[in-house]
Amino acid sequence: MPVKNVVKKNFYRDSLQLLHLSEQAKKIEGVMDAAVVMGTKTNKEILEKLGLLVEEGKIAGESDMVIAVSASTEEIINKAVETIEKMLTKPPKAGQYFYSLETALEALPDANLAIVSVPGEYAKEITLKLLDRGIHVHLFSDHVPIEDELEIKEYAKERGLLVMGAAAGTSIINNKAIAFANVVNKGPIGIVAAAGTGLQEVSVLITVAGSGVSQGIGIGGGDVKKKVGGIMALESIKALEKDTETKVVTLVAKPPDPEVQKKILDYITYNTKKKYVTCFMGGKVFEVPNQLKERLVQTRTLHAAALESVRLLDEKLFKEAEKKISIPAEELLRKSEKLYSQFEEKQKYIRGLFTGGTLTYESLIILKETLGDVYSNAPLEPRLGLKNPYKSFQHTVVDLGEEEFTIGRAHPMIDPTIRNLRLIEEAKDPEVAVILLDFVLGYGSHSDPAEAHTEAIRKAKETAEKNGRYLAILAHVCGTDRDPQNLSLQTKKLESLGVTVLPTNALMAILASAVASKGRMKEDTLERTYESFLFPQ
Amino acid sequence: MSEKVMELFKSELKVINIGIEIFYNALLDQEIKAVHVTWQPPPKLEKEYKDILSKIL
Repeated sequence: MPVKNVVKKNFYRDSLQLLHLSEQAKKIEGVMDAAVVMGTKTNKEILEKLGLLVEEGKIAGESDMVIAVSASTEEIINKAVETIEKMLTKPPKAGQYFYSLETALEALPDANLAIVSVPGEYAKEITLKLLDRGIHVHLFSDHVPIEDELEIKEYAKERGLLVMGAAAGTSIINNKAIAFANVVNKGPIGIVAAAGTGLQEVSVLITVAGSGVSQGIGIGGGDVKKKVGGIMALESIKALEKDTETKVVTLVAKPPDPEVQKKILDYITYNTKKKYVTCFMGGKVFEVPNQLKERLVQTRTLHAAALESVRLLDEKLFKEAEKKISIPAEELLRKSEKLYSQFEEKQKYIRGLFTGGTLTYESLIILKETLGDVYSNAPLEPRLGLKNPYKSFQHTVVDLGEEEFTIGRAHPMIDPTIRNLRLIEEAKDPEVAVILLDFVLGYGSHSDPAEAHTEAIRKAKETAEKNGRYLAILAHVCGTDRDPQNLSLQTKKLESLGVTVLPTNALMAILASAVASKGRMKEDTLERTYESFLFPQ
Repeated sequence: MSEKVMELFKSELKVINIGIEIFYNALLDQEIKAVHVTWQPPPKLEKEYKDILSKIL
């Protein structure tokens, strides 16, 4: 099959535009496969795996664009390349597009919020300009130097403005999804989150539970580090404390710096009156100050944080919510037996292929207690780091949203290519027993992730079966029925492929532990795991 | 603090999106009043000159 690469020197489009273009290119008549990518190392490796890389493409640099097409004849290829080049220069359709911030501000002079997603090194300049105009900022950009983040946040605080981020994947402001966020119910729970998919999971579970979210403020993981000192965590708490819609405030973060955590807890103790739920995942269980014992609940997972937030509001609603979101331990054991009873003796490892950073982290925290050492590209301890992030070792959980997989290409929540390739690879390993997949729905994400993984899931299952093995695939769908992708529809599609779908990410990790331990995890151990992770501490 | 934040919580969102276009489309899908700024990285050389200039000046 002929393949052609055309390199466009110093030609830039963002990864999402390129993904869209790649999908359009695949639909051109006669084209077998196509991809339009920036010429980064990762992208060239993927083109190679897809059989789409030839000599011309190999020498492309990071600032060059590669158009790669395969088709049955040279003629079709050349025609397709011509069409793709035309698409590249086509002006955008609807909407108001500008080429400078100044002209955009003239067109929308009363703007009150900005989403900034330029590369981190350019974020400060733009953000400060917006703050000068009195505009709150959701800063999506990664790799913003921490000194810049501190400067931006101090500047914003002086002006009474919010800076959500840096590296904030999600916010929900006035019931609207900002960046990657779900369509959730409006309600009395305010969330402050230094963990993007953490905010998505908690807001989604609160909605599934029948309650809702007043505001979901994504402050970025850097906010709770010593250098930034929790500036926006505190500003957000102040705002939610004042907000009359908010009755319960839920805080979600990977463990904050101890000084920052103390500062936050002290603030809550002496300056607030509302009810609070903390979910400092992976941190030590702390002594709740006496004054807070009546109105602060400590949790260790997103699952528990969502349920406890509902409980603080309404005990009756909580009982109903528990039935929807949780699975009793005995039932989970039965589910696990049904799966592990089909395994071959050699099958013992779990492989988690995640798109959400916080969902990866939450799984690692749980699996560490249930299974011991788990390797990762985002490990809990340096000794558990994968030597090669593309290759799993024993129990492995990878965050496919990490930099090594995403430089110059779209995030795996949008582009399933990397995960699909990895899924099939994992299925070939005779020691693999369980695969874990997260599907994050909502604005910004792939329009039909279950469908986009269908072929790979089938292939993975077939590969294992051909070799006389049963491969258990577990999934959690983080979404609501009001999301454009629809939670029920996605769940049904996955279940029809033989995937076991769990209502929460924490339950997926617990079930995976029970399945991989093949009956060694008894009811009492499971009860202890539930107490540790699914109940208040 | 928080007066401007409270004001935001009570107002209709009007958003400027700078960078990734998919977020702009999501805003429009939610019927949020929004404009998009198409962002391109300045050529590398220009940034280097800018840094040198800012040091000299």
